[in-house]
Amino acid sequence: MESFSLKRSTVADRNQPNLSSKVYVRSTKSGKVQKIVRELYLRQDIPCSSNLCRECLRIAPKDSADKVAPFVLSDTPAGSKNYPNGQYLVPDTNAFLNGMDLFEVETAFHDVVILQTVLEEVKNRSLPLYHRLIALTKNEGKRFYVFFNEFRQETYVARNPGETINDRNDRAVRKAVQWYNQHIQEAVTARSKKSKRVPSVVMISDDRDNLRKAKADGIPASSLSDFVSGLENANELLDMISASQERQEIRSGKTEIFYPEYFTMSKMMTGVKAGTLHQGIFNVSPYNYLEGSVHVPTFDKSLLILGRENSNRAVSGDVVVVEVLPKDQWKAPSTKIIEEENVNKNDNPEAEDGENIISERERRALQEEVKRVHGQTTEGRPQPTARVVGIIKRNWRQYVGHIDRDSVRSTSKSSRQQQMVFLVPMDKKIPKIRIRTRQAGELLGQRVLATIDSWERDSRYPVGHFVRSLGELESKGAETEALLLEWDVQYRPFPKTVLDCLPPEGHDWKVPADTNDPGWRQRKDLRDLLVCSIDPPGCVDIDDALHARPLPNGNYEVGVHIADVSHFVKPNNAMDKEASSRGTTVYLVDKRIDMLPMLLGTDLCSLKPYVERYAFSVLWEITPDADIVSAHFTKSVIRSREAFSYEQAQIRIDDASQQDDLTQGMRTLLMLSKKLKQKRMDAGALNLASPEVKVQTESETSDPVDVQTKRLLDTNSLVEEFMLLANISVAGKNYEAFPQTALLRRHGAPPKTNFEELANQLKVKKGLELRTDSSKALADSLDKCVEPSEPFFNTLVRIMATRCMMSAEYFCSGTQAYPEFRHYGLASEIYTHFTSPIRRYADLEAHRQLAAAIDYEPLDPSLQSKAKLEGVCKNINVRHRNAQMAGRASIEYYVGQALKGKDITEEGFVMKIFSNGFVVFVPRFGIESLIRLRDLATPEPEADFDAENYVLDIKVGKGRKVELFEKITVRITDEKEESTGKRKVKLSLV
Amino acid sequence: MPLDTSTYSLALLRLDGRRWNELRRLHAQISTQAAADGSSYLEMGNTKVLCTVSGPHEGKAGGAGGGPRSTQAKIEVEISFAGFSGVERKKRQAKDKRTSEMSHTLTQSLAALLLTHLYPHSTITIHLSILSQDGSLLAACINAATLALIDAGIPMTDYLCACTTAAPPTSAETEAGGDPLLDLNGQEEQELPFLTVATVGKGHAVSVLIMESRVRMEKVEGMLAVGVEGCKRVREILDKVVKEHGKRFA
Amino acid sequence: MPREAEISVNEREFIQQALRENTRLDGRAFDTFRPLELTFGDEYGVADVKLGKTRVIARISVEVTAPLPERKFDGVFQIVTEFSPMASPAFEVGRPTDAEVILARILEKAIRRSNALDTESLCIIAGLKVFHLRADVHIIDHDGGLIDASCIAVMAALQHFRRPDVIVEGEKATVLSVREREPIPLSILHTPLCVTFSYYEEGEIFLVDANLAEEQVRQGEIIITMNRHGEVCQIAKYGGATVDALSLLNCNNVALEKVKDMSKFIQERLEADAKRRDAGGLMAELSAENDR
Repeated sequence: MESFSLKRSTVADRNQPNLSSKVYVRSTKSGKVQKIVRELYLRQDIPCSSNLCRECLRIAPKDSADKVAPFVLSDTPAGSKNYPNGQYLVPDTNAFLNGMDLFEVETAFHDVVILQTVLEEVKNRSLPLYHRLIALTKNEGKRFYVFFNEFRQETYVARNPGETINDRNDRAVRKAVQWYNQHIQEAVTARSKKSKRVPSVVMISDDRDNLRKAKADGIPASSLSDFVSGLENANELLDMISASQERQEIRSGKTEIFYPEYFTMSKMMTGVKAGTLHQGIFNVSPYNYLEGSVHVPTFDKSLLILGRENSNRAVSGDVVVVEVLPKDQWKAPSTKIIEEENVNKNDNPEAEDGENIISERERRALQEEVKRVHGQTTEGRPQPTARVVGIIKRNWRQYVGHIDRDSVRSTSKSSRQQQMVFLVPMDKKIPKIRIRTRQAGELLGQRVLATIDSWERDSRYPVGHFVRSLGELESKGAETEALLLEWDVQYRPFPKTVLDCLPPEGHDWKVPADTNDPGWRQRKDLRDLLVCSIDPPGCVDIDDALHARPLPNGNYEVGVHIADVSHFVKPNNAMDKEASSRGTTVYLVDKRIDMLPMLLGTDLCSLKPYVERYAFSVLWEITPDADIVSAHFTKSVIRSREAFSYEQAQIRIDDASQQDDLTQGMRTLLMLSKKLKQKRMDAGALNLASPEVKVQTESETSDPVDVQTKRLLDTNSLVEEFMLLANISVAGKNYEAFPQTALLRRHGAPPKTNFEELANQLKVKKGLELRTDSSKALADSLDKCVEPSEPFFNTLVRIMATRCMMSAEYFCSGTQAYPEFRHYGLASEIYTHFTSPIRRYADLEAHRQLAAAIDYEPLDPSLQSKAKLEGVCKNINVRHRNAQMAGRASIEYYVGQALKGKDITEEGFVMKIFSNGFVVFVPRFGIESLIRLRDLATPEPEADFDAENYVLDIKVGKGRKVELFEKITVRITDEKEESTGKRKVKLSLV
Repeated sequence: MPLDTSTYSLALLRLDGRRWNELRRLHAQISTQAAADGSSYLEMGNTKVLCTVSGPHEGKAGGAGGGPRSTQAKIEVEISFAGFSGVERKKRQAKDKRTSEMSHTLTQSLAALLLTHLYPHSTITIHLSILSQDGSLLAACINAATLALIDAGIPMTDYLCACTTAAPPTSAETEAGGDPLLDLNGQEEQELPFLTVATVGKGHAVSVLIMESRVRMEKVEGMLAVGVEGCKRVREILDKVVKEHGKRFA
Repeated sequence: MPREAEISVNEREFIQQALRENTRLDGRAFDTFRPLELTFGDEYGVADVKLGKTRVIARISVEVTAPLPERKFDGVFQIVTEFSPMASPAFEVGRPTDAEVILARILEKAIRRSNALDTESLCIIAGLKVFHLRADVHIIDHDGGLIDASCIAVMAALQHFRRPDVIVEGEKATVLSVREREPIPLSILHTPLCVTFSYYEEGEIFLVDANLAEEQVRQGEIIITMNRHGEVCQIAKYGGATVDALSLLNCNNVALEKVKDMSKFIQERLEADAKRRDAGGLMAELSAENDR
């Protein structure tokens, strides 16, 4: 065989193994019973790996490179009170399950023999613990050795008839300990005749029966706590046991608790009709995965749903039916952060022998919670609490996440074995999903798309399947796709049928030169007007343009010209359907996901400068005091003179040397816009704030380089005012023409209860009063929320106030009474969206209605049906929200990337306080992040939470108090999470 | 299952307690069926195969196509699985493609091994009954067929011996890999990429090489080297069986 | 049963003698393929492969079915081979010859078992609805090298195929027609390709891509399936004359070179086809994800 490069010893081993076989019965998932027979080769060349032993060194196995693995156990092991000659420890399974933390302590627990029997049991009970144990064996300083007792002839134990597996395993452990003791004794005597220090081999077990039997056989044995108390730093270590011992359930947890069964559909329906049950959408708190809420019309405050059993397999977003619990079971919403990741990190994905639906740790987390609540008086007022009794509609979608590394049994890429693993969804409100896959090894470290298939009563977690991998975690492509999927943004190319709906001329399409062309029918020729557009820099989909000119009577004519998209997109064709389902264009930091094909959006419809374009114009006559004399709507043809960015426009207006008519027109617009704004404010419009930042990217690679907070110029508000004006005018016109079917937008007045908490916080902390009786009152009181020393405080309050508001929504005029039309934030009686038809479907519909209202063309039947319009509204409301969220998520990702590898100290403000952590907002980067107590020090420091005064008194170092609204200095770093390989912005207190 | 191949690196022990280069217990008998012209019973661990040979006898009325085939004996291989041979009691389809492939392999390799030109216009029928399956099935069939053919006294050039080898188990940490494993049981076959190799004689003349799983090409070399060595060891054992059997007549 | 016409003794001698003198009948080098042609149909998932005179067509089709009860999380993928009597008088419908069984087995092992197609991604709702993908392989003309040609055809067709998109909402799934949503490509994890080596003269001479006459004269064959990343997916040497172990390893190296070439060729053809479909650059107009 010299021709082969691999030289291998072909000598058969000296110790011919002895044969035994293992027979056992297993039942499969499908309920079949299989009898499995396995061979077992028992041998004598498995070393004890003690450096005291020479005999074993001689027989130790060699690998293909003819090397013997170095022996692990020290020849002078540390001793303790009971075992002064030193000891080798042989822990039982329950010792590891209870005290894994102890074994990981660097200063104690060296020279440990892990028996194969124990290792297998640990693996069956908890994969994450198994992985920790394996990690220990690789830690050279700890000297942990895995002894394969089941393969060594002397220590192999056959199962007796009638003996339980547990008993047999315990016996195997005792047998191994016995052998070890004897073996070490012999080894020491063989070394020198004078009996020196012979270390004891001690079994560590918390099983009383096992200990008793060991005593009877004369095997050195000790319980974990007894052993620890014999150590030097016993007190410190004993504390760790008391914390960990409560996890006993792992062993005893065989009692099967199932989720309650769902009610039948008819029972739920009658219940809902009779008012004994309530229907609503299930929402999970972002800070506590065990707390959900359902808003139902009967109750002012959302119904609280606490714990797994009560939420009964509902997933955030499902339409559920709930039953309100008796009053004595009502609870207060939690003041604690509970994250699934930490509570259930030791769960096994493969649930073989039935599991408890509620893990003991979860129960404890909630109980602590309840205790705390009972201790409180005013703040912890119990809220109506309910439990889920059935599900009307599942809203499961595809979820993006990553595979939990600890849940993977074998990371080998070649294995074709199917394994059950956990997918941890990106969205913290979604529970872990059990996934069965053959590609576990490959999927680690990837962004993965998966769906939920079912959630049976006997499974703690839902079961789903892998759809596809999006790419490596943290890579731009994968993360972008992930957030698009997560917010259900349709980013795939338009179907080919859309091509047929585009003008056949393509990019060569022009406004017909001949004014007798049908395209010119009823179109005003406004090509002579000095129109210009003002948009963010680099904008290519220009929706709107403006002009203003003085009229002979001293008033002004002001025009807002909107891209005439409805000319190109006819109702109910393929393109319209696509646009309607997409609902809106989505803007990400580096990308735009279009609602309409580029040909229209960035060319034919876009009101580009210097070319003629079709438009839909709103023309007003406005007095110099910004009172509107008349409004007029018409289709038109315009030619924009210039496309400005906000900044360019501002410079041009401010430049006194520019005296041309275009600039004058812009100055007029600016002057009028300021007056319009003042009027709006006087009427009670709110000036709200949201944390907005802009990411600057390198143009080539679009890698983020810097983060800036957005700057607002006068010209921003110029455009905004006239767009609002156009929207309000069009809303009135459409409503007048179609009182039942006008598509409008409303912003409901927030219920008082929404502001209760914020008002109370302001009162307690700052002595400020927040008045919420009307939008005007709110606006005024917000103006007074200032702290002279801290200019940002006002913005912070506005951000928090914004979160208390309802969200604005599209609706069909026939579905609400007129007073309900009101737009609370803008303080306008009626409102719609009209000015951005390229990027919002609602505007396109408004265009169609307006065109019919001015008798330009008949109204499509789909826009006359209330039911159909309601459907459209429902969809675009969702799309609109999702688009905002996707945009935010994109910024968040880029901010994270920009901060990568940096270490910055920045000021932040405390926004929310929990009993075990607090939320900090950093204005500079617009990031909001949680700081948990356990992040501050290990072990987690104690803290007193004063819920009434919003103070968290942390007992770390000299003690530290954190108060609501407090300005604190935080350190911003990014860290890669060990378990997920995911990068996260991390804040820490300085 | 509690342990899988990923723990190999910890112990240098396989799932059943063997080292990387150890064969399972190989037990074989010949002349087990008096009624057959040649027969054998072979166990490789828990894989158990019974083989009978009948012939050479006069070929079927076929042979009409003429051609070179009629100048040589035709080899027919039938394989049947006992209903209790697998974990689940299942009636195996008489002619599934996997079985056809196995009998094709046996036919082709034996055709080159036996001196078929000595028996024109005749047929040699080999029947294999699989009594129990636990990995290395094809290898066991080849070894059993070799013994039965020797028992039948059909001239052949040398022993045809087979065994399986697997690529070393890898996990994320030990990508470098270790030793290829010899003679796999059913559980190992499930988890590791493996190949079946059969050689003729003592050298490394490879007659059959079947690999059905994906593996890096660099690893094939080591697997093949170990496999050829394994075949040599199997040959020694089979040779001993034949000689022991012969002693009875001495 | 009809049989392949036996090759005459003279012809056999001639081919062998020529090989001994380092010559093949068609003048190719020992390690070259015949000219390979690959065209795609108008429909997605149809690949037509010509290897010399051998011609194989593969067609992929898809439907929605319930998954197999023991594989709830996997889509179904099936390769069906059909030897048409048109290709060779030896082929008969409904009675598979050994060659047909072997071809089916090799494709099964090379493509299905090696996980070239990610069947998990074909699952719509576990246990209820999955995509059932079927690859039909039709042998149109037979002049040797069927396995290599079929494998190319199936892999090219799989990469060319687009399946309809599907929306899952709660427990309801809607398959969207091609008109409603651009269909999506399959998730192909790697591209295994087969190289068949025929050997002569007690393993002294190895030929790549033997034609029918050469196949009839050979002492045995080794079929190696690999992908261009150097992973062997399958090796099959079904008996025949023995070969030295080292020459087997050498075959692996040759196979890798061939597979790399073929992969590149398929990729080029796929790109050319995509370009043909995108006449006038209309595809760019349909993209929804655009730079800001």
